[in-house]
Amino acid sequence: MTTEHHKMKVLKDCAIVYSDNYLNAIEGEKLEEECEELLEKGFRKVVIDFTSTELVNSIGISILIGIMEKVKENNGKLLFSSLRKGNIDAFKMLGLTKYVPIYETEQDALDSVLQG
Amino acid sequence: MFEDDELGIEKLLFNLSALSDLGEEITSPNEFQRIVKSSLYLIMGTFSVSKGAIFQYDPDKMELSHLVSKGLGEIKDAKVTIMTETVNHMVKANHLISAINSGPADIKIGEDAFIEQIKADIIVPIVARGELLGILTLGDRLSDEKYSKNDKKILSIMIQQIALSLHNHTIFHRLNRKNEENMKERLYHIYYGTIHALAAAIDAKDAYTRGHSHRVSAYCVAMAEGLGWGKTDMEGLRVAGLLHDIGKIAVEKSIINKTSDLSNDEIKELNRHPLIGYQILSRAKFPWEGVPEIVRNHHEKVNGRGYPDGLKGADISRGARIMALADAFDAMTTDRPYRKQLPLETALLEIKKHMNIQFDTEAASAFFSVLKKEIKGETEEPVILPYIHGPIDKIKIGRLLDGLTGNA
Repeated sequence: MTTEHHKMKVLKDCAIVYSDNYLNAIEGEKLEEECEELLEKGFRKVVIDFTSTELVNSIGISILIGIMEKVKENNGKLLFSSLRKGNIDAFKMLGLTKYVPIYETEQDALDSVLQG
Repeated sequence: MFEDDELGIEKLLFNLSALSDLGEEITSPNEFQRIVKSSLYLIMGTFSVSKGAIFQYDPDKMELSHLVSKGLGEIKDAKVTIMTETVNHMVKANHLISAINSGPADIKIGEDAFIEQIKADIIVPIVARGELLGILTLGDRLSDEKYSKNDKKILSIMIQQIALSLHNHTIFHRLNRKNEENMKERLYHIYYGTIHALAAAIDAKDAYTRGHSHRVSAYCVAMAEGLGWGKTDMEGLRVAGLLHDIGKIAVEKSIINKTSDLSNDEIKELNRHPLIGYQILSRAKFPWEGVPEIVRNHHEKVNGRGYPDGLKGADISRGARIMALADAFDAMTTDRPYRKQLPLETALLEIKKHMNIQFDTEAASAFFSVLKKEIKGETEEPVILPYIHGPIDKIKIGRLLDGLTGNA
């Protein structure tokens, strides 16, 4: 788990944040802080891409729920992409998928969000 | 929504892994705050809750105060006092989940404002060895599910783990605090013991001034108290009073105890003592500010004719101004090698006469007020009077002090 900034990309009014290999410790809060900063900067469309993320445990879920809440408070739109199947199952089980659409690839998510 | 679900294999695995993560976190050498935070996040993630907190219970204050929280904004100052009944109830409930106001197992915690602040759907007491250590609060679940029997079981196991961690931390903390207090008290005694011994050593050099340092110290503190000084500054002044003549250690004993007039050279030698005292004390580290400076300037006069620096008025530190008066008063009211003690009345009139010349007006007024209270029996523990020898006409002195304090 790193405390450095996550990789990030901006496309029009949408920001893509790349989650790193694990989202399973309190340091993962960095991701939440970065999303908060993006919202403060005015971005209302946020894609989190999980290509590099092996495992999301309960702490990770809690952090992602924190991000969901903050995006909702700002009337923004949050999308997840490139999740591993095990993680998707967990997200479904815990009710996250009711609030956040999940796309197979980053491009799919971008296509959807930039159209809308 | 279902109450008694069959636990699916996926959920079982997820919960198991959450439990193992929690065990790992709690047994890690990480700092306490981090462990508790991670534990809260783990639980919130396990039950997909967006708002939650852990509060710690302080049995001395009977208060629950914020330890960690998520999704509740700025609630660090949130705290609530709870009744013994509630505490007993929670200990009895021991990890059983209780929703607020929704059944016989209710836990009603303090004011509604607090409940509103923590946005809690359920409250779980954290109990170890029959002692309430805190509570966990959780808001609504993202999945809209109610807590099933299995959820409650898992939550209960998780809370037990957290309870043990909290328990160990509390015990550790209590022990630490107690040790610290004992240590502080012992150090305090050693410190003052040393300073008193030093003061006695200083006074011992002068056959006539036995107890002088103690009296000056006591007079100074009484005046400072009258002037509304803070406790810390007063302690500094007390110690400065005890040590103010430390420079006399370096002055010839024969000069200090001489009964006849001193020669110019001898006066010069004697007058070095404040500066020598300063040089000695400025090498020591005091927990209060300005102790060496007070000692250095306790023979200054407000008109600038004192020594060693010839400072005027407010350029002399307020502690030194107080001490100059206390020192002179004790010199007048005790026997000296060169003369007998002066009557109290004479000493007071001398101070009055030299106000704004030798003595600071504010210090003199404070001194008169303190003594007036003592003369009139308005002080429980008089400081100055017990040291004045010989008969005192309290009515006469009382009237004199009325005049001096502008209350004729």
